[in-house]
Amino acid sequence: MSGQRRAATLLRCWGCVLGLPCVAFVMLAVASLHASTPSAVAADPSVEAFFEKEVRPLLVSRCFECHAGEKAGGGLSLETRDAWAAGGESGPAIVPGDAEASLLMAAVRGDDPAWRMPPEDAGPPLSADEVAVLTRWVAGGAFDPRVATASIGGMSEAEARSWWAFAPLAATDISGGPERIDALLDARIAEAGLPVSGPADDRVFLRRATYDLTGLPPTADELEAYVADPSSDKTQRLIDRLLASPDYGVRYGRHWLDVVRYADTAGENTDRPLPHAWRYRNWVIDAFNADMPYDEFVRLQLAGDLMRTGEPRERLNEGIVATGYLAIARRFGHDIQKDRHLTYEDVIDNLGKTYLGLTIGCARCHDHKYDPVSSEDYYALCGILESTRFAFPGCEPQGQPRDLVPLASAEEIAAAREPWERRRAAYEAAVAARAAAAEAGAGEPAEPLPPEPGPEPTFPLAYAVAEAEPTDVAIQLRGDPEQLGEVVPRRWLDVFGGDTVAAEASSGRAELAEWILAEPLAARVIVNRVWQWHFGRGLVATANDFGSRGEAPSHPELLDWLAARFLAEGGRLKPMHRLIMQTQAYRRSSLASTVAVEADPDNRLLARFARRRLSAEELRDSLLAVSGRLNRSAGEAHPFPPESTWTFTQHGPFEAVYPTTLRSAYVMRPRQRQHPFFAIFDGADPNASTPRRETTTVPTQALYFLNDPFFHEQAEALASRLIAECPAPPGGGSLAAGRIQHAFSLALQRAAAEEEIELLGGLVGEAAAEDAAAWAGLARVLLASSEFLHVD
Amino acid sequence: MTAPTDHAAWACQPAAVARRGFLRSSVAGSLLMPGILSQLLEGEAAAAVDPLAVKPPHFPAKAKRIIFLFMTGGVSHVDTFDPKPALTRDHGKEIKADHPEIKDRPGYEHIFLKRPQWEFAPHGQCGTEVSTLFPHVAECVDEIALIRSMHTSHSNHYNATLGMHTGSFAFSRPSIGSWMSYGLGTHNANLPGFVVIAPQQTYAGTQVYASDFLPGAHQGTLVVPGETPVANVAPRIPSPQQSRELAALTALNRRHLGDRCGDPLLETRLQSFETAFGMQMAVPEAFDLGREDETTLSLYGLKRGQTSGFGWQCLVARRLVERGVRFVELIDTGSSNNWDAHGDMQTHVPLAKNVDQPIAGLLRDLKRRGMLDDTLVVWTTEFGRTPFNNTADAPGREHHPWAFSSWLAGAGVKKGIVHGATDEHGLRAVEQPVHVHDLHATILHLMGFDHEQLTFRHAGRDYRLTDVHGQVVREVLA
Repeated sequence: MSGQRRAATLLRCWGCVLGLPCVAFVMLAVASLHASTPSAVAADPSVEAFFEKEVRPLLVSRCFECHAGEKAGGGLSLETRDAWAAGGESGPAIVPGDAEASLLMAAVRGDDPAWRMPPEDAGPPLSADEVAVLTRWVAGGAFDPRVATASIGGMSEAEARSWWAFAPLAATDISGGPERIDALLDARIAEAGLPVSGPADDRVFLRRATYDLTGLPPTADELEAYVADPSSDKTQRLIDRLLASPDYGVRYGRHWLDVVRYADTAGENTDRPLPHAWRYRNWVIDAFNADMPYDEFVRLQLAGDLMRTGEPRERLNEGIVATGYLAIARRFGHDIQKDRHLTYEDVIDNLGKTYLGLTIGCARCHDHKYDPVSSEDYYALCGILESTRFAFPGCEPQGQPRDLVPLASAEEIAAAREPWERRRAAYEAAVAARAAAAEAGAGEPAEPLPPEPGPEPTFPLAYAVAEAEPTDVAIQLRGDPEQLGEVVPRRWLDVFGGDTVAAEASSGRAELAEWILAEPLAARVIVNRVWQWHFGRGLVATANDFGSRGEAPSHPELLDWLAARFLAEGGRLKPMHRLIMQTQAYRRSSLASTVAVEADPDNRLLARFARRRLSAEELRDSLLAVSGRLNRSAGEAHPFPPESTWTFTQHGPFEAVYPTTLRSAYVMRPRQRQHPFFAIFDGADPNASTPRRETTTVPTQALYFLNDPFFHEQAEALASRLIAECPAPPGGGSLAAGRIQHAFSLALQRAAAEEEIELLGGLVGEAAAEDAAAWAGLARVLLASSEFLHVD
Repeated sequence: MTAPTDHAAWACQPAAVARRGFLRSSVAGSLLMPGILSQLLEGEAAAAVDPLAVKPPHFPAKAKRIIFLFMTGGVSHVDTFDPKPALTRDHGKEIKADHPEIKDRPGYEHIFLKRPQWEFAPHGQCGTEVSTLFPHVAECVDEIALIRSMHTSHSNHYNATLGMHTGSFAFSRPSIGSWMSYGLGTHNANLPGFVVIAPQQTYAGTQVYASDFLPGAHQGTLVVPGETPVANVAPRIPSPQQSRELAALTALNRRHLGDRCGDPLLETRLQSFETAFGMQMAVPEAFDLGREDETTLSLYGLKRGQTSGFGWQCLVARRLVERGVRFVELIDTGSSNNWDAHGDMQTHVPLAKNVDQPIAGLLRDLKRRGMLDDTLVVWTTEFGRTPFNNTADAPGREHHPWAFSSWLAGAGVKKGIVHGATDEHGLRAVEQPVHVHDLHATILHLMGFDHEQLTFRHAGRDYRLTDVHGQVVREVLA
């Protein structure tokens, strides 16, 4: 199908709200969903290995002389699976799984001497071992990864065109509420005969929802109010309150920053600071808080400067800052200009994974081995990047940063500079005149010096991109920038129609955003992320890979329903959160019977809620929140050394950790040396997209709770807080019991049980009321406890 | 829905044991670590809780621990441990090969043999040939069982590296070190059972030392060479106080765990505190090279005070296994600037220099201490490099899963032998080929395990390191 034609018939998801014409289109396309399984992938790697090791060489050495190439003997080619399946003049050569019925086997066994293969004049008959190899292969299903020439990258064209993730959304009725989601989930649970966990109690639910949407623990007051609230819509109001909190953007923005591998340094050999990258980080957080429609969110990150051209300065600035998404790409090597092909790969890899769940980056060196992405596709996108000017962070042989984008117009800059330059000129002229007069022996001039010009006016800068000279690039053979092949026009991926950049005079970034958004895949990928952010696991468990190496969706119907609903509601995330968080599935207890756990260890069916450890950010923010030291304002620039002082080298790279009490999303995150705290607690990798946080449990984490200075500071602060907030009871009473209760309510949002008071009372013993060091022990125990660290 | 909310109604283990322990420690108040767990939990409960308790293997074995040396990026076999005179003779000759790295690859329609760039010579009593890239290791060949017929299932770094570590070439599975820790437990509760020392992450990142579905206590603990290889080991409060706090924490955590059906995630967390407590003393001592004499330091090519480099990694490895760590893996470089010599084989020179003397020093040091009798040393990489390229004079070599070299030395291993062979050009492992699964089966056998019996039930199925493959290479067993 030609690019133009396909584009014309394509469901323009983001434009229409699934009006009738679209629905009709969707229904037509449903038939092709799940039509194929990848032939290039063996479920068992040994099957693949057997083919590669035994079968392929045998076919090449004993059969290819005749049965390959243009003039394949008897019309039979054994070069690809499709070829032998179609067969030659005598019909299909192989019946997978049935060696007896396969013509090929009869021929190589020489059942009929006249039919023997290879024929006498072409060589000796196959040995018994060789026949055995082919028999095993055919009988075992004739796995064959070799795809026909009509392929796109690593997939046959037919398969690529009908790949489930690329198909139009198979959802015709998007009405209903949370109960629709539950119905789809419950059907699968019932089918599996799994016992379902009951609803979590109010405390557990409040803690779960609060951490989920804000990354912070609830306060004791919030708990009390929620538990005491008798109204039936209290959960809905809770979710609304949390979504309206600015902390929501900090939490969900950080999810996004994981995916786009945000970092505050460039990653090249000297790991230079990026003093202006924070504007992009904050833009992401603000966009989540504003519930910016997803299409706008995507467009701005790829082409905000272009989308907002001609709009008021503030809007334009926002668009420029958003393209920080592209600018924060990792830089490589010593001279980053020389290795910019690696930066392009990093960008293409990231944008493929982030927006489409596709691994495109590997097509730099060769066609994708499994998915429909070719090297031509890769270099077509590369041209778009080559036509874009990336902010330059500096590097050892190339000096300081340049090409940052000022957040003010040339006129504004000129207007602000003009009086300053005038003052400077006047001042310098007067100084020069004096010097000349002094030299000439003239006395003190009567006129005083004009005032000094003052500091040079500066303007905020964005680490962003801009348009460059539009150009197409040549394929780099095997990814080697020195070995160039054909020039490929800037265009979209062939499998999605291959549209070319319309305006020759532009980079094509604006088109790129539209192409991405036109794919139903884009909606599937983002709703799957949202689902994963709530439940810990996506409906597609491989959130960055919807291709043939990824996992198939556990609930395909639900995925498509969510995607269609998301589009219908304008691509906003907050309605999706409301919908998902009001399901019974989200409310379920994390307690489950052993039977249920064993039957579904990965909790794919969601018959229970998955208990989880706090992320690194949540842990640090919770420590600060409970100790009372958390600064909840938005962070801005990091205290990097001034650019003029930079002398970083690969042997003396930039390295720093800046202590702060701001939320963790605002902590400076370097690339070369992972921030030590985030390294210990499985923080996101700032060098590669992190679709999902892993959870490790290692003694170095326990050592953190034993001896880390930051942890001890927070515990001591909590102790001081307990002393300040629970003075000795005037009428006697137990000081310890009161403080233990208060500590439980702050850290764990629950009352301490009798035996817990007894236990911890023993720990504080006879500590003096004002002895913070003694009370810090109590704080350390609670802040290191499993209960503090996990969400049920 | 009317499902019960009270966990007591569920069929999970009741928390009786945990409660008993909780009450006792609340009375005792100030128990000293370590030993809190054993005080809190008795008999069968302790065994169920302590996944690192020492366990016997399936059958008696000489090897008690492993030092696993992994060279990142794919070491060229034909330039190091697999001499191929015919490759020199036939340099420039065009060959055909249905090779995964050249399939449909533009510019690779024709391929030509490419000669090795380093000379080989026989060494030791056994006369095993090694190239000039490894002059020090060459002097140790009488200790080594060299396997020249290794092959693997994938030609990508990521997959091949994952395969070499987990037996799985696509999905994350428990690492071989985790399997060893799971199978044998560890002798020193104050150190992790499985330690990985690496200046950078190799391909596939933390997956290469992850416990995956095995209990989290078997996860590899990463140590990055430097002045503070393990952070937060210096206690900040007096020991008796720390012990009291830990007793209270353990009691609290046990109660929490008991209310949650013994969730392994929480159980591992609990366990990790006991290990961490011991690490405060054990780690500084283990990593302090101050008491090593000059002779020892010079064996590894180390300067006094040095806290990085492969020599440091090797000496620390010896000290760790000496102190009961079950499995130490040393990774030489990260996923860039490694042995992946596409562009120029000469990049093998500094990489070999980085590891050669330290490895030889490690073997000699272990031997003179008698430790080579019960320590298994494994040297490997993820795959070899092509004996061909698209021009004979191309300076580099490509990924080559069909053949590479690995070696074993120490406990239970035949000394001074060569096992298997590649064809005359080093293209394919033709004599007695050894797949990665076979190497794994052999390592497990040397440690006393039947690789088909060391299993873990996960998601309804018994998993093992060798999946459904693997044959012990009997010829390398002493």
